[in-house]
Amino acid sequence: MDRVLFIRTLQAQRSKLLIVAVALGIWGVLMPLIYAQLIDTPLGARFKEMIDSGLFPAQFAQFGGGNLFTLPGSIALGFIHPIFVAIVCVFAIGFTVAAVAGERQRGTLEVVLARPISRRKAYGSLLGATIVLVGLAILAMVAGTLASSAVFGKLDELDLGQVPLLWLNTVLLYIALGSVALAASVSFDRLAPALGITLGFALVSYFFQILGSLWPDAEPLQPFSLFHYLDPAAILDGTGDPFDLVLLALVTLLVVGWALVVFPRRDLAAPS
Amino acid sequence: MTAAIATEGLTKRYGHRGPHPPGAGGVIEALTDLSIEVREGEVFGFLGPNGAGKTTMIRLLLGYLHPSAGRARVLGLDTEHDGLAIRSRVGYLPGGIALYDTMNGLDLLDYLCRLYRRPPARRAALADRLEMSAATLRRPVRDYSRGMRQKMGVIQALQHDPELAILDEPTEGLDPLMQRAFYDILAELKHEGRTIFLSSHILSEVERVCDRVAIIRHGRLVALQEIGELLDSRKRHVEMRLTGPAPSLAGVPGVSGIHVTDGLVTCQLEGDVRPFLAAIDGAAIRDLTIEPAHLEEAFLEYYAEDVDLADASPGRAAGGGA
Repeated sequence: MDRVLFIRTLQAQRSKLLIVAVALGIWGVLMPLIYAQLIDTPLGARFKEMIDSGLFPAQFAQFGGGNLFTLPGSIALGFIHPIFVAIVCVFAIGFTVAAVAGERQRGTLEVVLARPISRRKAYGSLLGATIVLVGLAILAMVAGTLASSAVFGKLDELDLGQVPLLWLNTVLLYIALGSVALAASVSFDRLAPALGITLGFALVSYFFQILGSLWPDAEPLQPFSLFHYLDPAAILDGTGDPFDLVLLALVTLLVVGWALVVFPRRDLAAPS
Repeated sequence: MTAAIATEGLTKRYGHRGPHPPGAGGVIEALTDLSIEVREGEVFGFLGPNGAGKTTMIRLLLGYLHPSAGRARVLGLDTEHDGLAIRSRVGYLPGGIALYDTMNGLDLLDYLCRLYRRPPARRAALADRLEMSAATLRRPVRDYSRGMRQKMGVIQALQHDPELAILDEPTEGLDPLMQRAFYDILAELKHEGRTIFLSSHILSEVERVCDRVAIIRHGRLVALQEIGELLDSRKRHVEMRLTGPAPSLAGVPGVSGIHVTDGLVTCQLEGDVRPFLAAIDGAAIRDLTIEPAHLEEAFLEYYAEDVDLADASPGRAAGGGA
């Protein structure tokens, strides 16, 4: 990792990080708030009766493995909701894809690589920045969730010892996704193909997981999704599978290894 | 004197991997068997039209591209294995440089210099020469004009006082005053023993600042000469107005294309001028003009075939390669 490039990359992202962190903090506040409203108010009780009556398939109340009627379940819902995914992907995909392919296309990468920085170090700096940005963004979500749970007096319904594990598992998922995006970024001279491939991968992966959670016949597709290896409800219940962490770490290592081999060997033609 | 840059059979093909024969389907040979040597302390011009392979050559020297065949050494170091060591001693100005628009000029120069781990020893002098005031450098780069961006490009390439400067179209976008300031900078660098590798298609610029020049055509070297030698071998146009009879120029060494009309003699003069001067000695000359040879004529001579082809077929662009 090159320290100067790493720090400069983080500095360039600080405004975006602030916006994303605030957005995720607010999103984190919402889940315990909604849960408290459903549990503690007559309106919430009527909604629960409606769900229990079977008017809607049970899967819709347990979207992606979440559950609106328990605190861990509602927090889990927040962690797998498309809004959360989209906000975290500002860094996990948006930043990473643009980090190399975008700079290549603009022509700024060649100014940096004219300096005595190896491509591996440049890649390491960008991966390091991705880890920090994703880690801080998800930390904001966790902080919002905990603060909101405390405000609504629900903190005792959470096993706080599991919260760091939830953060770690979520970070590992988005680092894995980010490493795929960064690998695509170092493989193309233009932003569009790198972004297209990464978005395609992420959307198919997410679709497999959600489809499997809503439709039992599609469950066999779920293991092929990276999102399958983040189960916030199970983690908060203390029944999380350590294999999820190992698998996400292995995927990341594999993709990072591939990028470290491919990037230095690539020809970087003049920007068009 | 050792070579600042030396290439041996440097070849770059695009569109395939492995040792496919040149001309195979989909393969573009941007640079073919290029062997040149740039001496330490000289200003070396690398000439060719767009698409001739100039930028490919520079990108090979800096390790952005990997050669398909041959090898290159910069400051005695192999470009394939010692890229970091080379880049720590080189300053590079890319053609049409792109800068980080959100930063201000000073922060950008600081950042790019910190990546070298060397102090910006020349920055103040360069900024002064190129009229980039402290106030200007504090403005965001996005507010800079094209010329100011080019000045930033020159400063970032030279601020750390590199042993070798590789400059791709360095005066692009600079006004005539700033071009002159840039030539003064080059003269100063040369005086201090720095080597400059300058790629350009502005022939008057190359003629003015370079010691030697290489001309490439379709990725192949077609000429490598001292500027003076190259110009000496060109024909100069002579125009002589007379008030008396025309001197006999037939058979004078170096004189050709003699054309005599009423009181006016025109001819071409090549090489040593003394036989010509001896032949016109005593003639009733009212006015004599010997136009100096220009690099443009030499350049166009090497590209005459392309010009002819382009003239014959308007759809075909002169030059090729990548």
